[in-house]
Amino acid sequence: MRIAVTGATGYIGTYLIGLARTHNHYITAVSRRRPHSRPMDWIPWEMSAKTVALPPGTDVVVHLAAETTWSRDRNEETEVLAAEVLVAAARKVRAKFMFVSSQTARPHAPTSYGRIKWRIEEQVLAAGGWVVRPGLVYGASARGVFGTLVDIVGRVPILPAFLPAPQVQPIHVHDLAEGLLRIVEGEEASCRTYVLAGSQPVSFTRFLHEIARSRLRCHRMFLPIPASLFLGCSRVLDVLSLRRWGIERVQSLFDLSKMETVSDLNRLGLVLRSLNSGLHVSGSARKRRMLQEGLALLTYVLKTRPENAALRRYVRMIEQLRGGETLNLPNPLLRHPALLSLLGDSTWDNEAAKAEFAWRMDAATLLGEATPAGSVRFLGLGRQHGLFSRGQVLVKAATCELMWRSLSAVGVPLVRKMLARAKAAL
Amino acid sequence: MSTKFDVIIIGSGPAGVSAAFPLLEAGLNVLMIDGGKVPDMAPPEQDFLSARRDDFEQWKWMIVQDFRAIHMRSAVSPKFRVPSLAFTFDGFEQGNNIKGKNFVTIGSLAAGGLSNAWGCGVARFSSAELAEFPSEASSDMERSYEVVSRRIGISGKIDDDMSDYFKLDTYAQPPIPMDPLHASLATRYATQRTKLRAQGFRMGRSRVAALSEDVGSRKACNLSGNCLWGCRRRSLYSAADDLPKLHRYENFSRLAGFLVDGLTRRDGSWNIEGQGTDGTRRAIVAKTLLLAAGTLATTRLVLSALKYEEAVPVQSSPMAVFALWLPRFLATQRVPGFGLGQLSFAVTLAKATAFGSTFSTTGLPVSEFARHLPWRRRYGIDILSSLLGSCLAGNVFLPGNLTAGEARLQKDGALMVSGAYRGPVMPLMKEAADKLRRAYHSLGAFLLPGSFTIGAPGGDIHYAGTLPMRNQPAIGESSPVGEVMGLEGVYVVDGACLPILPEKSHTLTIMANADRIGRKIAVLQRRRAG
Repeated sequence: MRIAVTGATGYIGTYLIGLARTHNHYITAVSRRRPHSRPMDWIPWEMSAKTVALPPGTDVVVHLAAETTWSRDRNEETEVLAAEVLVAAARKVRAKFMFVSSQTARPHAPTSYGRIKWRIEEQVLAAGGWVVRPGLVYGASARGVFGTLVDIVGRVPILPAFLPAPQVQPIHVHDLAEGLLRIVEGEEASCRTYVLAGSQPVSFTRFLHEIARSRLRCHRMFLPIPASLFLGCSRVLDVLSLRRWGIERVQSLFDLSKMETVSDLNRLGLVLRSLNSGLHVSGSARKRRMLQEGLALLTYVLKTRPENAALRRYVRMIEQLRGGETLNLPNPLLRHPALLSLLGDSTWDNEAAKAEFAWRMDAATLLGEATPAGSVRFLGLGRQHGLFSRGQVLVKAATCELMWRSLSAVGVPLVRKMLARAKAAL
Repeated sequence: MSTKFDVIIIGSGPAGVSAAFPLLEAGLNVLMIDGGKVPDMAPPEQDFLSARRDDFEQWKWMIVQDFRAIHMRSAVSPKFRVPSLAFTFDGFEQGNNIKGKNFVTIGSLAAGGLSNAWGCGVARFSSAELAEFPSEASSDMERSYEVVSRRIGISGKIDDDMSDYFKLDTYAQPPIPMDPLHASLATRYATQRTKLRAQGFRMGRSRVAALSEDVGSRKACNLSGNCLWGCRRRSLYSAADDLPKLHRYENFSRLAGFLVDGLTRRDGSWNIEGQGTDGTRRAIVAKTLLLAAGTLATTRLVLSALKYEEAVPVQSSPMAVFALWLPRFLATQRVPGFGLGQLSFAVTLAKATAFGSTFSTTGLPVSEFARHLPWRRRYGIDILSSLLGSCLAGNVFLPGNLTAGEARLQKDGALMVSGAYRGPVMPLMKEAADKLRRAYHSLGAFLLPGSFTIGAPGGDIHYAGTLPMRNQPAIGESSPVGEVMGLEGVYVVDGACLPILPEKSHTLTIMANADRIGRKIAVLQRRRAG
């Protein structure tokens, strides 16, 4: 498919294009700046442009561009007219049209942002296009509203906990890109509004808390602030013309009504990642857990930190052979791999768990062995050997084995409790 | 394809190539059909220890991209985990419709068959063992042993206590040098041999199909230690090495990548039906057909052509493995060396003879041992990294009739192989373990407690005797030239037609027997033509 994307260098655009290319779609970027990430066709385009010529053969136009920087002379009409120009250009080349709107879109939305989106939606639906309203887009690189929030959480040690807290429905930017592409690729008739977001709203306070915890790994205090106070203040700023886009978009959070997203998600077969998972820089908590597990097992086996390549191999192996499932080892064991010796045959409450641990230990042993560091550890290559030093190693190993055996026998209840807690924490 | 070939051979393993040479020499047109799989990765460039020390990409040949070594964790032998040998084993059971029940069923769709991954052990059957062959067969074996031995290249010639057992010294090259551990065992044995022989234990150099002197393009072993991972010098014999030699005959053709799944009789000829790697089906017509697809695959083809639904016997040698520790070598450094059998032994037991060999542990992943050690892994590795350099691995085999195996054609066309060890196996294994413990103790080596492990039935991968040659064959048996009773013109030339499977390595005998049958068929064909 040939897809023209406005806002190609933006937050959603970047990920949408990345994904579309893996699906072998041909992309034309329609944007102010040429996308630098990858070479692709580019049509320079400003929102104020009166016309735009799309390449013939374009199948779909995905309109993501929006005015996101605040300026004094910003005009509501500019964005609406820009959309009009694009819809006309799409019709000219018989391309379908998709507009990515916002959860705030309403005819009488308190913010101009929401009103603009509404007016464009009307136009697009009238022209037989698709409208997609995503929830709060987050994840991967810190851009868009999400970027602003990450920035604030990173800088401000005490954050507001608005009372009552606005409810947001987040969607990871990768999941959104996947959803947009599924709509585009599907044969579904046009003229429809999709809502794509997590089906269960979470409070804005929880969202900020998760950014601190999962994304930035920091602790943040929350100070309860009545929402009315914040809105009052922002109105004062408004009057003083001191508002910034960021403030207006936070303002719009108080105006969200819950979207029923389940039927659209099901229709597209889209399964959204959990907030906790999506907020990790790697895009998934699972991957981080796999890395932690690999690091612990390989360090345990090698008695030294493994080379990064071996660690990556462990993660890839778990993804390929174990569907990315981790063992859920307790944190103390992950942080201090020597403690893995506490895990003995009697530790496990079922045969499957015991066998799985043995499998992973064997896999880590082989992955660790098949490295130059492994040749020192396993074959003793390049190490000094005397009869005495060999004897010492043997005695020490036997002593350690005995010690850990007794410790693990004594500690079975404790270790079992740790394992159960780690499992429950998921 | 019409009958422009005098003989069609199914299989390019040791049996297939050995039968092909005499037929080609006699001027017959021969077509060889095989699964045609070839290696998809090159053997390591450096010797094993250097590669382990320096190669940051060593996981590629130890584990490989799809994590084969880990995926195949529960396979019976380290060989199945070796990435470069994957082509040898993969797809055999599905391709040939063979299933095992409590029985390990291994075979190959590779060019060269299972010899791409064999232990290179060779031996001649004794005259008592050959007496189990039909009388006309046993008398012709001598010449065939010589022809085959000279062709494949055998090393280990030395006058020792195993010379009589192997009976190959006339055709063999000198032995490949031993590592210090084996050398010490051999030296001690020289001083203790009278006593040990009285106990029923004798030991000598292993006779192996590995070169100590160059033969053609194959080079002598340079002790790289890569026996398991792939030998660049091709010192270890594989039947694949004979394929270029066969191609030099103008009357030789080969159809690689064709999997035969059935034989049907039509107008006095055989229709060989099967499928190419691209999935296209075709039939090839043959008057004379030699089956060398490997015991299990051959058995399925014969039983389904016969529509024979009774069980046929499967012989397979009960096998055990053990570890020896030589405390004197506790402080030695690892040195590269030959990875296959260096010393072999025969132990006389109450009602059988056991045969086995010992190997260096250096070319094997330590992980193979670590996972069987009932220690915390971290300390298990500590122990092994210090101890394994002074350890040897050993295997021991009992005669194949001690496995009560059977193969039966099922309604769906699959061959189901099942079996269990016969009653005497456990007592015999215990006796063997005791005798080996005593014998090695006098040689300064300890059989490590708990290391003597008996393998699963079929795990030896020495299968034989499903369609045994008899003077008076019944249905399900074959004639002295391997012709299947009831299937005129179909000859079995692989392990399936052996009437007996002793404890010793049987590959050389399969090859010699195939050579013998090839000669006979050449004579028969010429007589028919002339």
